[in-house]
Amino acid sequence: MAGQGTAPRVPVEERLFSLVLALLATDHGLTKGQILATVQGYRQRFSPNGDNANLERQFERDKDDIRELGVPIETLESPGQAGNNQSLRYRIPRGEYELPRDISFTAEETALLGLAAMVWREGSLSDESRRAIIKLKALGMETVEPVLAYAPRVRVRDAAFEPLRVAIDKHHIVRFGYLKPGESDAGVRTVAPLALVQFQGRWHCCAVEPDTGERKTFLLRRIVSDVSTTGKSFEASTDNEAERGLRELDEVWASHHAQVRVEEGTDAARRLHKQRGAGKTKDGNLLLHYVDLNILADELTGYGPEVVVVSPPDLVDAVRDRLRAVAAAHTETAGEDGNA
Amino acid sequence: MPDHTPQPHARDKLTFLLSLVPYLMDHDRVSVQEAARQFGVSEEHIRDAVRLISVSGIPGDTAAYQHDDLFDIAWDDFEDNDQIVLTNLVAIDDSPRFSGREAAALIAGLQYLSALPENADRSAIAVLMAKLSRGASAAPSPVAVEASETDATLALIREAVAAERQVEFEYLNSRGERERRRVDPLRVESVDADWYLRGWCHLREALRTFRIDRIGDPEITAEPISYRPHDVDIPDALFEGSPEDIEIQLTIAPAALPLVADYLRGTASAPAADGLVHATMQVSHFHAVKRLACSHPGLVTVTGPPEARNVVADWAAAGLHRYDDSR
Repeated sequence: MAGQGTAPRVPVEERLFSLVLALLATDHGLTKGQILATVQGYRQRFSPNGDNANLERQFERDKDDIRELGVPIETLESPGQAGNNQSLRYRIPRGEYELPRDISFTAEETALLGLAAMVWREGSLSDESRRAIIKLKALGMETVEPVLAYAPRVRVRDAAFEPLRVAIDKHHIVRFGYLKPGESDAGVRTVAPLALVQFQGRWHCCAVEPDTGERKTFLLRRIVSDVSTTGKSFEASTDNEAERGLRELDEVWASHHAQVRVEEGTDAARRLHKQRGAGKTKDGNLLLHYVDLNILADELTGYGPEVVVVSPPDLVDAVRDRLRAVAAAHTETAGEDGNA
Repeated sequence: MPDHTPQPHARDKLTFLLSLVPYLMDHDRVSVQEAARQFGVSEEHIRDAVRLISVSGIPGDTAAYQHDDLFDIAWDDFEDNDQIVLTNLVAIDDSPRFSGREAAALIAGLQYLSALPENADRSAIAVLMAKLSRGASAAPSPVAVEASETDATLALIREAVAAERQVEFEYLNSRGERERRRVDPLRVESVDADWYLRGWCHLREALRTFRIDRIGDPEITAEPISYRPHDVDIPDALFEGSPEDIEIQLTIAPAALPLVADYLRGTASAPAADGLVHATMQVSHFHAVKRLACSHPGLVTVTGPPEARNVVADWAAAGLHRYDDSR
């Protein structure tokens, strides 16, 4: 930072590394004052009699960064000085920092984990899997040739994903605008987010409404506003919420079914027959499961004349309305079209 | 919410330092070259890190970073022979744990991969997931991805890739016409729940991307592949244009932009005054656009050329007509 006198510039990673070493080496913990005055990267900028407010803020940010990396930093109160912020002592408890010695990974497992990391190409999940792989490589397992024949990828393109992930980790109650299909105005939802799950290629947020205690699942692509924090937090859940979220979506999927008639030999026939859970009814119709009627309606509309919906009636109406709207939007004179 | 921009670069560097130290401790002597290969970084990257480690340590009793409180290396070995030997150790005994979020990223990735034919043994994956959870410093954050069903076509194509044999299958092109294709299978790719085969198509004599769920009657031939994966430059984008492509104009509701971004190849711009994004798309045939427009009703509208609008309108009208028949 500019204006720090003639002190030599210590690179960020050197300061962070020195802080981790100092906190790992101490049994009783170091106070903020001790850290700023003695640890490499701080001490050069520390002024013994002056104002160290900037440096203190730097320390707070560094602490957050280090914790984000999974390094546990413990705070201890000095005996007899409870509540005195200046006498808080910081340390890294070794047992929670070090990977248990009995954990090791075989070459096959390492290769599979390398592939699992490749799945994420964007956003925080990609940063985190990259760092996990660095840690994995430290264990010395022979680096196995990456499986070239595969390029798996899960996308994280919904703008709401990252803020929701932060809110889940910090147990923050959040608010966002949610647009239900068929409605023209987004309703404001206030929820305690519990998990993010991708089901059938779409990200969902499993949440609880704090007012009613009711569990709700939101489709991320229908979140149309920024996700903002409310300043309130909620109590962490001890359940495996991600697994529970997937299970709940699966139950919804299993309980909803539609019947369609498909033209043999078409794109619709080939692809719909391959859908998970697709089956034949005794009338020769195709039985499909779905989570969200509107999403299935969009998909079926894409097949145009290759598929006719038989049931449920809501789906028949939804597809007909869509076909009508698309036909209209593409027959009007250009310039007047748009929102159908 | 974090009140500062995270420093991914510094975080990566710190993770690297905290990982490199225990790796070097486990190897009494290791060459810069070998360490670089292990971590997949340049040799200079390793040398820089070793130099930094060698001047780092703890303030110590004197709070003055005395010699004994610093890491040290065998300098002659390092400078003359490019070998790393740690001679004094400080503070670090073992590798760091994964963070809860790091473990979650790998676990969710594994869940997704459990659909791959060679991972049919789900118990091995479960064991691996449990290991990651136990090796994390906090409970893995709740992110999950549904595993798709193991698909027979995918399994067959994987087998062909491994055996380096050509595959033959029936494929519906974008006009809905059936064609028997013979392909050198090069790579299996996926985007979320959709799986693709990228390969050299002997019919088109070009690299092509095939949706696995559009493949019918696949078989592995006795013929070895004529192109290997590294003979062909496989671009990142799944769909490549060709000089014969035609251009289509569209308007897209901003909310739908992420859903169609793959087809636009970066041509989309900011929303215009009407709140819609005006974009162009290259397609091989007017028919290619009808399914896209119909499956995003009200969100994606083809604005030109008129032939393309007609194709979409006719497709939708034909679909509608089928409901008249059934009454």
